[in-house]
Amino acid sequence: MLVRFWGTRGSLAVAQSAGAIRGKIARALVAAGGRSFADEAAAAAFVDQELDFATGATYGGATTCIEIEASAGDGSFMICDFGTGAREFGINAFGRMAGGHARVFNVFMSHLHWDHISGFPFFGPAFDPNSRIVIHAGHADVEQAFRRQQEEISFPVAFDWLRAKIEFRVLAPGETYRIGGLDVEVMEQHHSHKSYGYRFTDPNGKTAVFSTDSEHKIESMEGEADVAQFFRGADLVICDTMYSLADAVSMKEDWGHSSNIVAIDICHEAKAKRLALFHHEPVYSDDDIQRMHKESIRYEELTRRDDPLEVLCAYDGLEVKL
Amino acid sequence: MIWSEEMRGGAIVAMPKGKIDENTAQDFGTSLEGAVTRAADVSARLVVDCAGIEYMSSRGLRALTLAKRKADGAGVRILLAAPNEIVREILAISRYDKLFGVTETVEGALAA
Repeated sequence: MLVRFWGTRGSLAVAQSAGAIRGKIARALVAAGGRSFADEAAAAAFVDQELDFATGATYGGATTCIEIEASAGDGSFMICDFGTGAREFGINAFGRMAGGHARVFNVFMSHLHWDHISGFPFFGPAFDPNSRIVIHAGHADVEQAFRRQQEEISFPVAFDWLRAKIEFRVLAPGETYRIGGLDVEVMEQHHSHKSYGYRFTDPNGKTAVFSTDSEHKIESMEGEADVAQFFRGADLVICDTMYSLADAVSMKEDWGHSSNIVAIDICHEAKAKRLALFHHEPVYSDDDIQRMHKESIRYEELTRRDDPLEVLCAYDGLEVKL
Repeated sequence: MIWSEEMRGGAIVAMPKGKIDENTAQDFGTSLEGAVTRAADVSARLVVDCAGIEYMSSRGLRALTLAKRKADGAGVRILLAAPNEIVREILAISRYDKLFGVTETVEGALAA
């Protein structure tokens, strides 16, 4: 199983400013200390080996879109969420379909807020008459949300003008479905208008969990045992870690999001193998996200009980092989 | 988690000992809220002497928040004193050092 991150930002798509890029270049030049490089490959090796991630790269700014590529699946695309990262994914998918990949998309929606559906109008395969897109959701009003954002007041292309065969399917928490050759379980989460987490298990037993836009309420901490059960032994848990715990329980309480350290605690309890920090706060710079990642690794070390939990920080373009 | 407390310098000083995690956080929270009630009854502040806490997970931190909400409603001030290096680091990572007053020593909390 390969998990590919096309969009990792929360709430609002963001882009690097000219000043931010200028700062990265200036920092890189200082780090190079006057060295010269024979070619771009040598310079790229310097970037990869000697610069920190926030200087030499970026976490990106597209909103949530994840691809799960299961070698033992049925060959369809398996996607979580239609955030703005879906635009880039759609372009990439066309290339793979031209090479013979099945033109079938199974999409699993965490929920229907703008940052999770706004990539759909720019998702190229929706215009492809040979593509079939099945949008799975826990929400009974999923079709309404997709149609509404393409009404003329919001977008020039009406939903009914799309050429792909588009279907909607409502899933129920607690059930296990066989979709795309994978076992898919669904969990209801606490968020405005609800959200849903998904647990994907391939025939080889590899498991990835997608759990974003999920607030773990301070008044119901005992309920986290159910979440840990859903995360149990997962090879990868992708978790909403938008805020610090202090923010999540004070100013940003009831905003529907979680923190890095609650995610780590639940993953520890679940004996999960890897956690991907996800749904990054749009006001965070790359330096801020990198700092949060380092602090998260340190917190995991401080509170570790049994086997270590690998703490990754998702970025647009990250691929994790399970 | 072992809980004890005493009156000292016009404050209730609580001295929890052990690990505060999902196994002990409920007892920790119940003890904290009881101490808040007792502090309110005598118009005292509540100083949590953290020296005996090995580490505190998010469950313990959130129990602190629930106690603080009760304390704020009762006019009781909670201060965290003398955390070890691990707990101090966890307070910083969680940004709880912005929500609570943290002092190097119990005496510092009593004088704050």
